[in-house]
Amino acid sequence: MAGERPHPDVPTPRIGADEWVSREQEHREGRGGLTGRALSLIERIPPATWLVVFIAIAAVLPLLMNTGDLNRYGLNVALFALLALGLNVVVGWAGLLDLGYVAFFGIGAYTYALLSSSHCFTETTCGVHWPGWATIPIAIATAALVGFLVGLPSRRLSGDYLAIVTLFFAQLFLTVAAQGDRVSALGLTSGVNLTGGPNGVPDVDPIRIFLIRPTTVEAYYYFTVVALVIVATALWLLIRSRTGRAWTSLREDALAAELMGMPVNSLKLLAFSIGAAIAGLAGAILAAEQTGVFPGNFNLAILITIYAMVILGGAGSMAGVVLGAIVITVVFEVLSPTTSPEKLSLLFYGVILVALLVKIRPWWRLAFVLGGTVVLGYAVRVIAHAVSASSTEGEVVSGGFVGDVVELLVVTPAQPGNWPKYAYIALIVALLALTRLDGWRRTLLIPPTLLLAAFVWETLLVQQPTVTRFILFGALLVAMMTARPQGLLGKLRVEIV
Amino acid sequence: MRKGLIAAGIAVLVAAAFVTAGLAKTEVLAAPAKTEVLAAPAKTCDVSVGLAVPATGPAASIGQEQLHWAEFSLAAFNAAHKTKYKMVVGDTQLPNVAAAIGVARQFASNKKIVGVVGPAGSQEVQAFGPSMRSTAYVSMSATRDDLTNGQRPTFFRVVGSDDTQGAVDARYAIRTLKADKVVVINDGSSYSVGLAARFANVAHILGASVDLDEITQQETDFSALATKIESDVDLVFLPWQLATQAQTFAQQMKAKGKNAIIFGSDGLFTSDFAIEGAYVSAFARDIHGVKGTAALIKAYEKKYGKFGTFGPPTYVAMQVVLDAIDRACQAGAATRKSVLAQVKKTNLKKTILGQGIRFDANGDVEGGVFFIYRIASGKYQLVFPTK
Amino acid sequence: MDWTKFFSVLIDGIQLGSVYALIALGYTMVYGILKLLNFAHGDIYMIGAFIGFGVLTFFGGPLSPDLPLAPLLILMFAIAMIGSGFLGVAVERFAYRPLRNAPRIAPLISALGVAFFLENSALLLFGSQYRQYNGFELIGTGGFYIGSVKITWITVLVVSSAASLMVALILLVSRTKLGKAMRATSFDQEAAAMMGIDVDRVIVATFFIGSALAGAAGVMAGLAYSSIFHFMGFTAGLKGFAAAVVGGIGSIPGAMAGGLLIGLAESFTTGYMNGTWKDAVTFSILVLIMLFRPTGLFGKPEIKKV
Repeated sequence: MAGERPHPDVPTPRIGADEWVSREQEHREGRGGLTGRALSLIERIPPATWLVVFIAIAAVLPLLMNTGDLNRYGLNVALFALLALGLNVVVGWAGLLDLGYVAFFGIGAYTYALLSSSHCFTETTCGVHWPGWATIPIAIATAALVGFLVGLPSRRLSGDYLAIVTLFFAQLFLTVAAQGDRVSALGLTSGVNLTGGPNGVPDVDPIRIFLIRPTTVEAYYYFTVVALVIVATALWLLIRSRTGRAWTSLREDALAAELMGMPVNSLKLLAFSIGAAIAGLAGAILAAEQTGVFPGNFNLAILITIYAMVILGGAGSMAGVVLGAIVITVVFEVLSPTTSPEKLSLLFYGVILVALLVKIRPWWRLAFVLGGTVVLGYAVRVIAHAVSASSTEGEVVSGGFVGDVVELLVVTPAQPGNWPKYAYIALIVALLALTRLDGWRRTLLIPPTLLLAAFVWETLLVQQPTVTRFILFGALLVAMMTARPQGLLGKLRVEIV
Repeated sequence: MRKGLIAAGIAVLVAAAFVTAGLAKTEVLAAPAKTEVLAAPAKTCDVSVGLAVPATGPAASIGQEQLHWAEFSLAAFNAAHKTKYKMVVGDTQLPNVAAAIGVARQFASNKKIVGVVGPAGSQEVQAFGPSMRSTAYVSMSATRDDLTNGQRPTFFRVVGSDDTQGAVDARYAIRTLKADKVVVINDGSSYSVGLAARFANVAHILGASVDLDEITQQETDFSALATKIESDVDLVFLPWQLATQAQTFAQQMKAKGKNAIIFGSDGLFTSDFAIEGAYVSAFARDIHGVKGTAALIKAYEKKYGKFGTFGPPTYVAMQVVLDAIDRACQAGAATRKSVLAQVKKTNLKKTILGQGIRFDANGDVEGGVFFIYRIASGKYQLVFPTK
Repeated sequence: MDWTKFFSVLIDGIQLGSVYALIALGYTMVYGILKLLNFAHGDIYMIGAFIGFGVLTFFGGPLSPDLPLAPLLILMFAIAMIGSGFLGVAVERFAYRPLRNAPRIAPLISALGVAFFLENSALLLFGSQYRQYNGFELIGTGGFYIGSVKITWITVLVVSSAASLMVALILLVSRTKLGKAMRATSFDQEAAAMMGIDVDRVIVATFFIGSALAGAAGVMAGLAYSSIFHFMGFTAGLKGFAAAVVGGIGSIPGAMAGGLLIGLAESFTTGYMNGTWKDAVTFSILVLIMLFRPTGLFGKPEIKKV
């Protein structure tokens, strides 16, 4: 690193924890500009208001959207918000890294599915159809109990080792779920079909709690939102209680907390169990609403999605993780094959343009970037056309004005062959280089990067939105960690090692 | 430091270029082409057919063939009847059942979709059930026998059931190939488990000694399993969905010096499985031999290239659904209910599979048959039924 | 007792174990120095397998290679190792280094992000279908017999190259100046820096070596087990990780022993019980070891300074 300019992200020299804490107020007041003021304003809104606004929007949502796939946004957001709130208890409040969280989600779902479906355990034992008022509490309790058992090692295992054990627990759960269709004790008894194996448990009953019998998507949406509001209220009361404060101190400094006489072990176990219970509830709702559970519902991608929500929103902040769940689910659903490529493209170019307008100062630099992009793009296109006429004969996916502009500036070959793939790799290299450069070098590199991005988007990414969204997730996690590890609404804090 | 970074960047680029250049030669997946819509409308309804195929994932080679034949069938139907029906493609990513259920729900919530072609796998049919309570769905390759046990009133299939396939395969393996000691390995999917059980039963009744084993669809290391096959085993029956797995397993067996005959089910009837001397059963005959299909094959191959046995049944399934939609449309309106009623009444006199299509009360095709091929010098040789 | 079967299963286990051990080494070396669980390591192994496959296809593919076997194999290994080595360095530079002073959870999340990014980029670039190395077409199904136990040339190739890479690594760590610097950094990073060791350079070297080993493991897996696909890194990475943990994370001989142990456990589960349960068996062993001996078989109990 010798001779390198200090990077703004790396505080050098590292300030001590005490100093950091004492300068907290300064950090707060130091936030200038529009975003800083907006954030301070948001912080002043009382939580009750948040809740009311949330409920109001949630209540009218089904009226605004059409019944079919648009309501999927609502239901998915509510379900993921529930999951994110649960994970927030473990990760955000108690500071335990639980990589097995998705298994509790699965345990809740499987428990519900096995107790209320036409699933056959053996040839003769078929179709346990318990009503929802019994199975949902059982699902929650089972998940909480397993959470307690998995949390037991956290008494001895801390930090990384806990992450390892929970990760392997999740993998163990997935293995059992995917292979558990002929379980026998040491081969002595005849096989019991415990989980339906890779085919999952189809034909799960809808929820029946006395008079509450949701069957439509709307009904499940309202059911989930009500569950979410109840859970959120309970958690809000909890974090303001003795237990909540104890968790916070545990997270900040476990050793100090223990020396102060706090029951560290029980606190950890409690956090684990509560997180697992909430995941179990979400699982039960998923099983009923999806009318089936499958091992693929609980894979690593889901775990990472939930983590992305908590991290993006800000671990520790309830409003933050709900916001994270909303943002990520909406992005996820927008980037699905059902959205037309034209709309996706409009969104893509729009976001880039807005980012440029906001981020690049002063104006002459912005003018240089935009002008450079236009000139360079046009020149490259002319040259490409001269070299091979077919290289500009392809069609751009976006229509209208944006389409015309892109058509004018970006090389769109009719038969791109492997060029998009090389360009994708070059784009990654260019983006990484941008993070390391500054001053005029960076300004110079932006126009070619933009053109490259447009080319890759038109020829590769827009055709596979499902893959693109996962790539964006991965990149988002890394970028978030390097730029703003506390998330959107989270508070920066110092870890005392 | 910066120089090092630049060097690293260049090195990564070069390595990546190598990889993609190399991979370019084995490129298979193409982006789904846009379906053609022809002008000159007759009486037509603005409705769509849902197509559920594994367009990506380990079974993508099958899914792509099915996708192409479905497009081909739609274009042919629209051209012949001057209609403008559309198709919505859902990627079920076999063996990922969760993805299949996502497709089913997407179809169910899309009111334009009045009939569905697919899904391809038997476990996917089970996953489709709850979302398809009022929509007809016609599978082109799901063969598990108990799918048509009367519990799925909207399910139909244009191919025979594994009840037949298991029995035909077992009889051929034991009677014709004279196998005394047989190992049956299932891959855990609902299709595979059912077919393996049926085969084992019939083989047992015919007097062979049968051993059972199982793998998962995520498995790639088969060396210990190949070791486990004893050297006096005559035949290994693989009712698997993923041909690449079977190919690897067969190679491992050969390397271990095990000479048992490999006998695969319809899932292995694709170019990914090419073990010399192996037997494969198929639910459709190679349509190159069917009378009156030459022009159609030529037109297809001109546009999409070569194909196996998974495509033509998709063509027929698409035909069944489009035909039902068209009849419903001419008689008033094409709704899910009217299309379902029309699918039940399907009576195609002659299809490219060489047989007519009528469904029985449970949705099974009447007179479903299976064929057995032997792979010899890279080509399929029909060995059953002998003409 | 059928000894032929026993020894055949044993050899299968050793072959699988060598691959796991190579992956485990990367995990263990990085953990030893940075105390970081590099979840992206499995995906570097996957990229290594794809680079090797790219080289193979570039030179005509397994059925009709343009080069003689030996140079082809050397090229495949060399390019895959260098490529994945640089990839590992790039990951360290951009995803981990900015987080050196961040809270403990940050690099872990960042690692998950990198893993996800690499997997899906591979899906985008290479497609979702399985690619076939066809090692048995390339090298042949031949081999030699010890008694009635057949050992194929592929097994010989995999086990011997894994063994020589491990010997080279041990020599590097114990005999060279770089190795000394690595050991010093792993013992106490700050003290090492004060002694004039360029810690950043040591970390870069560690990532390069660990990732190169993973790349070699990827090529070996391709040759021995044929099918490669974009998601292969996740399971293999977990197994390699399990091996590192079982052996005692941070310990190089521990990673080798752990790899062998996991490989043998899997092949004996498949050979004598039911193969579908091998993952469950592996992870149960792991969870048990974690509960009763959290530092693994070769790990030293950690004394935490506050």
